Amino acid sequence: MTVTKPRIEPLGDAAFLVTFGERIDLELNGAATALADAIDVIAAEDRRFGRPIAAYASVLVPFDPAAIEAETAREVVARAASGVERPVRPSHAGARGSLVEIPVRYGGPDGPDLDEVAELHGLSAAGVVELHASVEYRVFFLGFAPGFGYLGPLPAELVTPRRASPRERVPAGSVGIAGEQTAVYPFAMPGGWRLIGRTEAWMWDVTREVPARLVTGDRVRFVPAP
Amino acid sequence: MSLAVLGVLEPGLFSTIQDRGRPDWTRFGVPPGGACDQWSVAAANLLAGNDAGAAAVEMTIVGATFRVVAATTIGLAGADLGGVIRETGQRLEPGRSHALAEGSTVAFPGAVPGAAPDAAAGTLGCRGYLAISGGFDAPLVLGSASTLVSAGFGGLDGRPLREGDLLRGRSVASVAPVASDVGRAWPIDDGDPFAKPNAERPLRVVRGPSPAGIEALVTNAWRVGSGSDRVGLRLVGDQLPTAGRGELLSHGVVFGAIQVPSGGSPIVLLADHQTTGGYPIVAVVISADHARLGQLRPGASVAFAEVSLDDARRALIEQRAALSRAAAILREDAGWDALWRSAGG
Repeated sequence: MTVTKPRIEPLGDAAFLVTFGERIDLELNGAATALADAIDVIAAEDRRFGRPIAAYASVLVPFDPAAIEAETAREVVARAASGVERPVRPSHAGARGSLVEIPVRYGGPDGPDLDEVAELHGLSAAGVVELHASVEYRVFFLGFAPGFGYLGPLPAELVTPRRASPRERVPAGSVGIAGEQTAVYPFAMPGGWRLIGRTEAWMWDVTREVPARLVTGDRVRFVPAP
Repeated sequence: MSLAVLGVLEPGLFSTIQDRGRPDWTRFGVPPGGACDQWSVAAANLLAGNDAGAAAVEMTIVGATFRVVAATTIGLAGADLGGVIRETGQRLEPGRSHALAEGSTVAFPGAVPGAAPDAAAGTLGCRGYLAISGGFDAPLVLGSASTLVSAGFGGLDGRPLREGDLLRGRSVASVAPVASDVGRAWPIDDGDPFAKPNAERPLRVVRGPSPAGIEALVTNAWRVGSGSDRVGLRLVGDQLPTAGRGELLSHGVVFGAIQVPSGGSPIVLLADHQTTGGYPIVAVVISADHARLGQLRPGASVAFAEVSLDDARRALIEQRAALSRAAAILREDAGWDALWRSAGG
């Protein structure tokens, strides 16, 4: 399957939103990631453009409307986008990032929602852990908070709605699931995902050159730890 | 060498170190951050003789009280938070630079309606900016001194000012006030977004990707709700129609985006907004009105008016030119100061 020509529309007077599709999909995300990489290169050279924000299937491209006309900016974006409109096989889309293994203690005080998730799906707690740790996830993008990676797709048997009311404080390293996604909370913050475990691994550290442990396109495996 | 300049006696409601923020780190999920009103933080810095993008203190509604540990010259801009030198009763008005003597106490108790001698005081908004000559010395985290409270980094350990904090200046320039610096005033009116009272003019918007409801947005009267902060403003008024618009696939968002959650009560994104969002965006406040947007206080009334992308661009170019003009005039003044000093005046 090929990625079709994206829609390019203004989001305000200083950004274009480039949309490849409306689905959570490895191919679409591969195209969005590739375009964001291309825009990053352009923005590093040409300060009339800002750094892009890639999401599931779209890229936000900021520009300075006082320095470049919108039509000219759109042409630059369209040209960069045409470079990524080619068949992108999921295996390739997923293979560009590095594999990150994250040790997780599941259940107990580290994963207070594990039993509830198991009950919702008619599984045992051990069954949920096995499923969650059975697949390799892709980091679709970072959003919500610094270093917070949206990982997926989750095995279909584990797709679970968010909690009805968010927790005021989710501890750092908590591993949560919501919808088709899973994520690690990079530091303590409010959050509404169902918490099934926790890791001691660093996820966000502003003193490092790359402050986020996970970056878009990385592959992630969760490894049950005692 | 850095030197302690201001000691915090009272922190005020929410006072943080801010500069231009971290626009280069949004791809890592880092909110752009920085001062909510970039025009006024630039003005405060220029009045203090700094680069427009230096770090300054952003104070909100009720400002801080400082002990002046080392004599300095400050630049003030943005909302009038009732600044006063306690010992002498001298008013510290925004849009000017002021010399502060060592040992004095400087308070920003907040705008007191009716008590201000200037009728315009308090009408500009809720955020006052204080810059010191030479700039505050705050460590750069991901290229910026801006405080991001939600993630606990930047500024002073990622938190608002608190009692006992010592704010340091970047250079000895911050402790060498010049007599002729005192009372230097903001030199322009033309092109200044705050030349007229903020609340009386609509905020200009361009159509968003989900424009259904924009007619109601620009017709209805809105008020800024109490749950508003540096992340976003909640608008109170008749709900916007949301029929057929659920939550969309999350995508990158921008300062000024007007999101419409399923309840129909719009949220306007400010500096500390999340980098991505899935709510329909009905309209986006134009760049030239971001400073005014960043000043709106809870309870303020707001109206919106739709303009074209061309209008938005022209307004921004004019505003940038106005800021450059002001910077050039202030630099020229500083040149005369230097001449005056070297002549032994």
